[in-house]
Amino acid sequence: MTVRNYPKLQETLLVAKLDNGLEVFILPKPGFTKTYATFTTRYGSVDNRFRAAGHEERRVPDGIAHFLEHKMFEEPEGDVFARFASQGASANAFTSFDRTVYLFSATGAVEANVDTLLDFVQNPYFTDENVEKEKGIIVQEINMYRDNADWRVYFGLIEALYRNHPVHIDIAGTPDSVRSITKEMLYDCYRTFYHPSNMTLFIVGGVDADAMLERIKANQARKTFEPAGPIERFFPEESAEVRTPRKEATLPVSLPKCIFGYKEEPGPQSGDAAIRRELTTKLMLDALLGASSPLYQELYDDNLISDSFGHEYNTGPGYAFSAIGGDTRDPDALLAKVGQAFAQAAERGIEEAVFERTRRKRIGAYLRMLNSPEAIAGEYTRYYLKGGDLFKVVELYESMTVGEINERLREHADPSRLAVSIVRGGEGSA
Amino acid sequence: MRVHVLPTERFKTYALSLFIGIPLSESRVTPVALTPFVLRRGTASYPETISFRERLDHLYGAGFGFDLYKRGDYQIVQMRLDIINDRFVSSDESLLKEAIRFLGEALTAPALEDGHFRTRYVEAEKTTVERRIEAIVNDKIRYAAERCVAEMCKDEPYRLLALGRKEDLPGLDAAKLHKQYEEWLGSAVLDLYVSGDTSLAEVVPLVENAFRLPAGSPDRYAPPELRKPRSEPQTVVERLEVGQGKLNMGLRTASTYGDAHYPALLVYNGILGAFPHSKLFINVREKASLAYYASSRLDGHKGLLTIQSGIEIENFERALGIIREQLAAIQAGQISVEEMERTKAMLANQLRELQDSAYERISFDFNNVLSATERTGESLLAEVEAVTPEQVTEAARGVGLDTIYFLRDRKGEG
Repeated sequence: MTVRNYPKLQETLLVAKLDNGLEVFILPKPGFTKTYATFTTRYGSVDNRFRAAGHEERRVPDGIAHFLEHKMFEEPEGDVFARFASQGASANAFTSFDRTVYLFSATGAVEANVDTLLDFVQNPYFTDENVEKEKGIIVQEINMYRDNADWRVYFGLIEALYRNHPVHIDIAGTPDSVRSITKEMLYDCYRTFYHPSNMTLFIVGGVDADAMLERIKANQARKTFEPAGPIERFFPEESAEVRTPRKEATLPVSLPKCIFGYKEEPGPQSGDAAIRRELTTKLMLDALLGASSPLYQELYDDNLISDSFGHEYNTGPGYAFSAIGGDTRDPDALLAKVGQAFAQAAERGIEEAVFERTRRKRIGAYLRMLNSPEAIAGEYTRYYLKGGDLFKVVELYESMTVGEINERLREHADPSRLAVSIVRGGEGSA
Repeated sequence: MRVHVLPTERFKTYALSLFIGIPLSESRVTPVALTPFVLRRGTASYPETISFRERLDHLYGAGFGFDLYKRGDYQIVQMRLDIINDRFVSSDESLLKEAIRFLGEALTAPALEDGHFRTRYVEAEKTTVERRIEAIVNDKIRYAAERCVAEMCKDEPYRLLALGRKEDLPGLDAAKLHKQYEEWLGSAVLDLYVSGDTSLAEVVPLVENAFRLPAGSPDRYAPPELRKPRSEPQTVVERLEVGQGKLNMGLRTASTYGDAHYPALLVYNGILGAFPHSKLFINVREKASLAYYASSRLDGHKGLLTIQSGIEIENFERALGIIREQLAAIQAGQISVEEMERTKAMLANQLRELQDSAYERISFDFNNVLSATERTGESLLAEVEAVTPEQVTEAARGVGLDTIYFLRDRKGEG
């Protein structure tokens, strides 16, 4: 067990790795009434081809990580939500490209709720009947997203960028892939990815860190886990080129939605270099496209963007891309103007003063984020799985230079690796 | 303007919220909605939008924004500013003072030309508001919710969107809007909240210097008009190009936030549909596998309760039947001991949790302003704990179904 102090941030973090391999992080927040906990497995929608130590290579149906997340909440004695509710905790879970996260927040009975969190995730209970019943619910979830224009245009971009990498597969799968899932497949995936050595527990809030750690140790000591070898994950060869430069869909929307982005080499996969690349890219995008940039104002004045205009940078195992856009009356004009601005900025460089202002803004936004236990738990775990430390972000920002940002810009904004996704209202729609 | 300070050392920021409310009305809803869009374009000191936003970046990326919503029969504009406590950065100015000054200027000293708002900003923001109104249909869940309430309240101002009416926009120009803005400032109820490591003694002088407000604005909100549900519920079916059907229901309650019966209504809503252990989630989703989401939401300020679910279109009758059974079950007193316990535990958790968010604490306290109550998180919690199953049944009997709204596909359209 180690204690890490971050005096500038006025935060103290307790870190421990248990005998079974589980990594535990506890961040006491004096004065907070609530405690928020996340239990995360390094297992998401992209992990669809893998080999567990001593087993054959497997290819599993699309959407299975998400299906598993739904099914974890069922226990022989009933629904776990009811138990959390009796203990006054609000529980939930979500699946992303590379993680599945189970969580609760509570203001009382925190130790009992931590036990419940660990116990339900470490106790799979799948039957033919309960697996079958879940399919109707998940198909409705998929249908809900299919009607959601923002989701469709975002996913359309990923589909335009990636041909082989499973990041382009919908996290929930398709109705057909979901219907093909059996309880045996769920158990296989569970055994592979839910071993404590593939998981992290993060607890933040009004807790006594030492007592909490003892409670967690005692909980884990009551359970036995087979020793687990490494998990091999396989990703298909992905070319540097985009799959298609343009993808369009029709849905009833009032204005076209347009998102475009650059596909780039995945780059360093973990450690400080990976975090640095992520933060420099985000700062660069913010300097060029943020609400206080001249480009933003020009696009707004030309009526090409609205307040929905935004940008992000997404990286994970084997993929890295930016996503830029929002609602627009004219997707092609927007694309042309932003493309031109990138080219011009790559040539002239981002100015020192703009870099400084943007850096200051991002440091402020980062500090504001530290008010939120939910954001701390989510972001700390994400950074940790990438081999970085969320609480060193300010130092990282302070060590950046404008030259580095400009280099990142030239590397990232390669016009030959740009794709666009558009959703337009069809005839007779709203 | 009333100033409220919620001192706390828990956060790394100061959070400012300014609530500006006037009665919802057809004639004013659109100019009031448009006003904050124009105000965020520039102030007397930072008249260009870029300089206005650069100033925010310079204040360590202070988060400035606004919301428009309805509370009871009022249209509320809420302006927010979230800024780092100086202790975490090496700032050469007092960030709290600068934040209050910035917010005060944004509201009371906008960028002007020829004695009124800048035409360029007003015209651009008219387009923005128009597009926002049009964009509601893009999100089918929100669209169905808005449409259901509009159908239920079609004879009341509450049918109006907080964003106003598209058809009023062409008639507004910079001079007219500026006149409306001045009337609005002179007649609205104003409440400023500051949360953070500060005190009323520190904040009040800063506010007095920063806000140039006309005297004599009203200081209280009138209670909402409670209506009875239709004697026979109406059913409204609307068709769009959608894959999933959205079933929304609008109900009227017999009490509001200001009443002593409100805690029973809160428990009622919890048993019905606010949580994953509630009757709607268990029966529509878990038992019948009909939906991914099925929930209820209580609007205690207006006295409305809404139910929402996304379903296969052909399952409309079945889902509606199951939901009506749940409503009838609670009215018949079918409430288990576990349902009561779980609901109270979850409500207690929500009420305690909100203490950890500056903006949620502010919103909770503002409920008291809206309803002339003096509840604290702890006192409401005690009221909730004391609610009996009989009181929940009583509350249930006061809730009446008014409107069934179904958004479906265009197949088989006659």
